[in-house]
Amino acid sequence: MGIRVAIVAFLAGLGTWAHAADSIEALANTCNNCHGVNGVSVGPTMPSIAGLPQAYLTNVMLEWKSGTRFSATMGRLLKGYSDVQIADLAAHFAKQRWVPQAQKLDEARVRLGAQSLKRCEKCHGNDGLPRDGETPPVNGQWAGYLYLESLKYHDEAVGMSNRQMRGAMKRLRDEDLRAVADYYASQK
Amino acid sequence: MSRLNRRDFLKAVTLAAPALALHAPWAHADGKSRVLVVGGGFGGAVAAKYLKMLAPQLDVTLVERNRVYVSCPLSNEVISGHGEIKDLEAGYDGLQKRGVNVVFDEATAIDAAKRTVTLKSGTTLAYDALVLSPGIDFNYAGVEGYTEELANGDLPHAYKAGPQTLVLKKQLEAMPDGGTFIITVPPGPFRCPPGPYERASQVAAYLRGHGKTKSKVLILDANDSFSKKGLFEQAWKTHYGSMIEWVPGASDGKVVKIDPGTKTAYTNFGEHKADVLNVIPPHHAGSIARNAGLTNEKGWCTVDMLTMESSVQKDIWVVGDACTHGDLPVYPMPKSAHAAVTQAKVAVGAILARLAGQPAPTPYFVNTCYSIAAPDWGFSVVHVYRVEGGKLIYAQEAGGISAIETPALTTLRKLEAGYALGWLKNIMADSFA
Repeated sequence: MGIRVAIVAFLAGLGTWAHAADSIEALANTCNNCHGVNGVSVGPTMPSIAGLPQAYLTNVMLEWKSGTRFSATMGRLLKGYSDVQIADLAAHFAKQRWVPQAQKLDEARVRLGAQSLKRCEKCHGNDGLPRDGETPPVNGQWAGYLYLESLKYHDEAVGMSNRQMRGAMKRLRDEDLRAVADYYASQK
Repeated sequence: MSRLNRRDFLKAVTLAAPALALHAPWAHADGKSRVLVVGGGFGGAVAAKYLKMLAPQLDVTLVERNRVYVSCPLSNEVISGHGEIKDLEAGYDGLQKRGVNVVFDEATAIDAAKRTVTLKSGTTLAYDALVLSPGIDFNYAGVEGYTEELANGDLPHAYKAGPQTLVLKKQLEAMPDGGTFIITVPPGPFRCPPGPYERASQVAAYLRGHGKTKSKVLILDANDSFSKKGLFEQAWKTHYGSMIEWVPGASDGKVVKIDPGTKTAYTNFGEHKADVLNVIPPHHAGSIARNAGLTNEKGWCTVDMLTMESSVQKDIWVVGDACTHGDLPVYPMPKSAHAAVTQAKVAVGAILARLAGQPAPTPYFVNTCYSIAAPDWGFSVVHVYRVEGGKLIYAQEAGGISAIETPALTTLRKLEAGYALGWLKNIMADSFA
C-alpha cells in the first residue's frame, strides 16, 4: 500500500487501521513474550522461531494442538487457537529472517560436538542450515533449547513420533547431546 | 498487510494528522498525540515500547520512580541462591533509544477531567491517552503489628523484588538447622498467585542443599487452595519429604497479627514462633489509582475486558497487577508479568485505534507462568482467552497446568525449569530492550 493510497483510505474512514490491527500481527505479538520480539529469541532456552520453514511451523503447531506431538507448554496454548490462526502464525513467522544468535559456548565442547555429528548430518548437515522445506535450521539456534529439545528424543518415555530423531538421540550420551547442541549453536 | 506496508501506513497517518485535527480533539497543533504511561514495570514498559514501535510519531512519555527495575519473577530463586539479582535488573535506556521520553519522577495525582498527571517534582503532564500500570501497594494494616518500617528493616516481605529480597536471603542463610521459616499468605487476589508456594519450595531447596534438613517451612495461608497446588504438593513430596507444611485458612491458617520482637505469627486461635518470619501483607492497586477514584470496593481497577480501558474513566487504560481483568464466569487473569504484557499490548492496539477514530481491534490475551520448585523441576500454568459474541471467554479447551502424572515426568519438569529462565530473558527484552 503506497502512502498516498493509505492517506486516502484513512481519510475516507474505511477502517483500515482497525483492519491492520486485526491482522495476524496482534496475535503474533503475544508470541514475543516467550520467543522474542518478532520471534528472535534472546533467551538461551527458548527457540527463535523467526524464519523457520512454514511447513515445519504449521506441522508442529497442529500436532501440539491435537496432542499427537509431546510438548511441555505449547500444546496447552495452541488448543486455544483455530487451525486458520495457526496457519497464519506459521506464515507470519516463516516470512521473518532467520537470525543465528552469537552465544557464549565452551570451545572444547563445540569440538566434541563436531565429532559427534554422525547421526545428525544427514538431515542437518555439518552447518545446521536447512536441507529441505521441513527441516528447521539449527545454525545459531540457542544451545540451551537444542539440548532440552534433544532430551525429548533421548527419553523413551516422552515418545516423540520422529523415529529418525529418536533413534539418533537415544544413542548419544548426555555430554554428547550437550556437545552437539553447542556445535550447531556455534554455526553462523 | 506486510510489516513494511504497515509502517508506511503509520507514517502516512502521521502525515495526515493536520487533516485529522479538524475533527479529532486529541490532535495537537504539532500533529502529535500525547500518550502518557505511568509505571515502568512490565506492563508500563511494554506499553511505551509498543506504542513507539507501532506508531513512531506518537509522543510517548513514561513516568517511573526508579532508574532500575527488578523483576519479581525468578526473585524467589535469588533467595535460595539459585539465581542472581543482577540478572533480574533492567534499565530504561532501551526505551529511551526507541524515542520514549522517560521521566524519573513519581506520579502523585491524576486529573481525569483535565487529562493531566501531576508529578512529585511539581510538573504537570497533559495526555490524550493515559496508560496506568502502577502495580500494587501493600495494606500493612491488614496484619496487626506489621508496618512498612518493619518490611524495610528486619521483617522483609520481599514481595517487590530488590533490597528486601537480599535481606530475606541473608536471614535464610543465617537460620540454624532445626529452625522454622514462616511465610504468611494474604487473602487473594495477590500478585503472582503461585509466588508464596514457589518461595516455600526455594527455601526448602536451600535448606536441603545445605544439609539443614531438620528445618521446617510453614506456610500460614488465609486461603483454602492455591495456584498449581497439585504440582507443588507433588514436588514437595518428591524433593522435601515433610519439610514444607501448608496450613489453609479453614484450618486457622490466616495470620491476623504478628509480634515483630519475638517473630511470632498469630492466627485467630493459635500462635507460631518463627526463626525467619516472612509476612506477605494484603495488596491493593497502586495508590495513585485508588486516589484517582479508579478502584472498586475491593481496591482494584475495573476495566473494559476487551480494551483495558478503565470502566470508571475514559481515556485511561489500566494494565497489570492493578487491574481486575475478567471475573467469573470468565476465568480472571492472574496478576503476572505475562498477563501484564499481553494486557499492555491490547491497550496499545485500543489506544492507537482510538487516536485514529477507529473501533478497537480484536484483543488477544494469554498467560504463561512458570514456577521452579526444585533444581531442574519446573512447571507452568497457561491461560488462553478469546472473544466470542463480543465477550471475553476463557478458552476451556486450552490452558491448564502441566501434567502431574506422566511417564516422562523428570524430563518434562527439567524442560520447564529451563524454559522459565529463557522466558524471563525474552519477556525482559520484550519489555525493556
